[in-house]
Amino acid sequence: MPTLPRPIDSTLHGVTDYTVGTLLMTAFPKLAGIEGTESASQVRVAGAIHAGYSTVTDYPLGIVKLLPYKAHLAIDALGAIAVAATPFLTGQWTKGRRHWVPHVGLCLFELMSLAMTDPTGKGDFHGDIEAVRQANLEDPHRKIYNGGPAVTRTSA
Amino acid sequence: MKKAAVTVHRSREEVQRLWESSEHRPEYVQGTDAAVTFKDAPGDRGTEIHVDLEGATSRGKLGEVVGKLTGSEPLAKVKDDLRRFKQSVETGVIPRSEGSPEGELAERKLKQRPAQPLDESELDKAGVR
Amino acid sequence: MRATVYSGRNTVQVENVPDPKILNDRDAIVKITSTAICGSDLHLYDGYVPTVKRGDIFGHEFMGEVVETGRGVSNLAVGDRVVVPFPIACGNCWQCEHEMYSLCENSNPNAGIAEKFFGHPTCGIFGYSHITGGYAGGQAEYARVPFADVGPIKIEDDLTDEQVLFLSDIFPTGYMGADFCDIKGGEVIAVFGAGPVGQFAIASAVLLGAERVIAIDQYDYRLQMALNKAGATDVIDFSEDADIVEQLKVLTGGRGPDAVIDAVGMEAAHGHGALHAVERVKQANRLESDRGHALRDAILACRPGGIVSVIGVYGGLMDKFPTGAFMNKGLTMKTGQCHVHRYLRPLYEHIRAGDIDPSFVVTHRLGLDLAPDAYETFKHKQDECMKVVLKP
Repeated sequence: MPTLPRPIDSTLHGVTDYTVGTLLMTAFPKLAGIEGTESASQVRVAGAIHAGYSTVTDYPLGIVKLLPYKAHLAIDALGAIAVAATPFLTGQWTKGRRHWVPHVGLCLFELMSLAMTDPTGKGDFHGDIEAVRQANLEDPHRKIYNGGPAVTRTSA
Repeated sequence: MKKAAVTVHRSREEVQRLWESSEHRPEYVQGTDAAVTFKDAPGDRGTEIHVDLEGATSRGKLGEVVGKLTGSEPLAKVKDDLRRFKQSVETGVIPRSEGSPEGELAERKLKQRPAQPLDESELDKAGVR
Repeated sequence: MRATVYSGRNTVQVENVPDPKILNDRDAIVKITSTAICGSDLHLYDGYVPTVKRGDIFGHEFMGEVVETGRGVSNLAVGDRVVVPFPIACGNCWQCEHEMYSLCENSNPNAGIAEKFFGHPTCGIFGYSHITGGYAGGQAEYARVPFADVGPIKIEDDLTDEQVLFLSDIFPTGYMGADFCDIKGGEVIAVFGAGPVGQFAIASAVLLGAERVIAIDQYDYRLQMALNKAGATDVIDFSEDADIVEQLKVLTGGRGPDAVIDAVGMEAAHGHGALHAVERVKQANRLESDRGHALRDAILACRPGGIVSVIGVYGGLMDKFPTGAFMNKGLTMKTGQCHVHRYLRPLYEHIRAGDIDPSFVVTHRLGLDLAPDAYETFKHKQDECMKVVLKP
């Protein structure tokens, strides 16, 4: 009966791309207690790459609109899995939880946010504004600006 | 929790009489060992009907869980009966929606129809004709 | 018949569905001549309300002509022109008898679902998810109206559809918002949200004799309509200055408004972009279901001892409700889904007397088949869209 909501539109996805990307590059390593390890630089690189390809994505918060939104989402997914896999490929996971848990955690966060992202990119609005304007039997501007008040003050 | 209660906006004499009448009799509750009591509600609110399932047949823990999932749990069915009794006594009808054309039914909670009109075969199936 | 049905998040489609039939003796079938899209429909459209199913017909603001009545309906005849209130009320239960029609104890056949969300069930509503009963809505060619002997009001005047249609929801809702403020004359009322309900809250405050009515929004065209049409005396555009509380203090000589009306609800916007983004992320991750910016600001802005009148729709839980401000300033909150039936007659009389012309909010009048584009236009406030009326 309930439909799974996908409430993250492309604008909101952009917001998370930049905030999370920046966070990964700056405060995250310290907060996760991995500062000074190879995990820290791995996470920083991941954050930088993520923010980087976000700037060239064709969505509301992209600066140069090159990369199609769906391709961006695909890279998000692959990148998340790559981040999770890194500690296991380098063998660093044997050094303890701090060396793989942040990676897997970030991967899960990214996949969860992708599950709630609506992939119909190119901004939110998907209506035919011209069709609406042509079919409209009212004149919005006139309704707002012309004529006097529609209500008179009466006593209670 | 094995108790349920509902308040019906009618006098106690009328509620007790209608509870036994063939037109309004609640099938499920009357078919169990549940203890049913009637009390005056405060002020102008009418009559409280209390149903206590403690001591009525139990189906064990597994039966309870299955019942909760399928909507056939005894307490849910008792509440259905109480709501339907109140509706038919106060309004004269059992309200039906397109999502739940049989009216209040525990089994329908997870299996709603879409909220659009029923076609002929669905009307027959819902027992509305 | 053709009907606007939900087809997945952010989409509706006009589809062919069966015509409605009488299911109960107290039903009537109405052939719809005009129907509108409501701001609360957008909560369904956006996927913020649980239990919405694909195929659900939307729409709870509609009017038309009676074409069939059940055996228990004697007050209406075939051919009568009626406006239908959005809450479905039986008229017989304790709540209905006390005029609390939107709290009807009998009209929701999914009471068991509503109980899980709210603790107790409330009335059935046309086209508003399965929590409120799973009733088919009125953005269609026909609708089945339960308890037709209680709800619909007969229109026997030459008034146009657009002049009376809003008796179904937004005019009484705005009016109840103003009614809650206990206006005796001389008050300053602040209305958060200058959408259609906000416009009627402003107009109603004027009707009831408020001295000043301040409209608050971030869209200039909505504030202009509030000033030019609805009778607002002042406006605050919070896209320029996000500190609404301070601006209201200055506008009221440091006192704060005597009453505040929240005509915004759960999808509140916020002036501070970053804060708003955080709230949207939280809401998107279901950490909170309701964005409470407007309600929070309303409570902080209201003068001590004042009234907070909440008619914006909320569904679940919000973070950071200012309990300290609310309690220490001794505020009163009055709220609820509008008890439309209570206000139908008095407001109809106001329209007939020429005190108000509700059609002022209509900026778009379109055929039913344009519903999908109409929803998008309305949602994104394109083309100076205020209120959309659809003609089946």
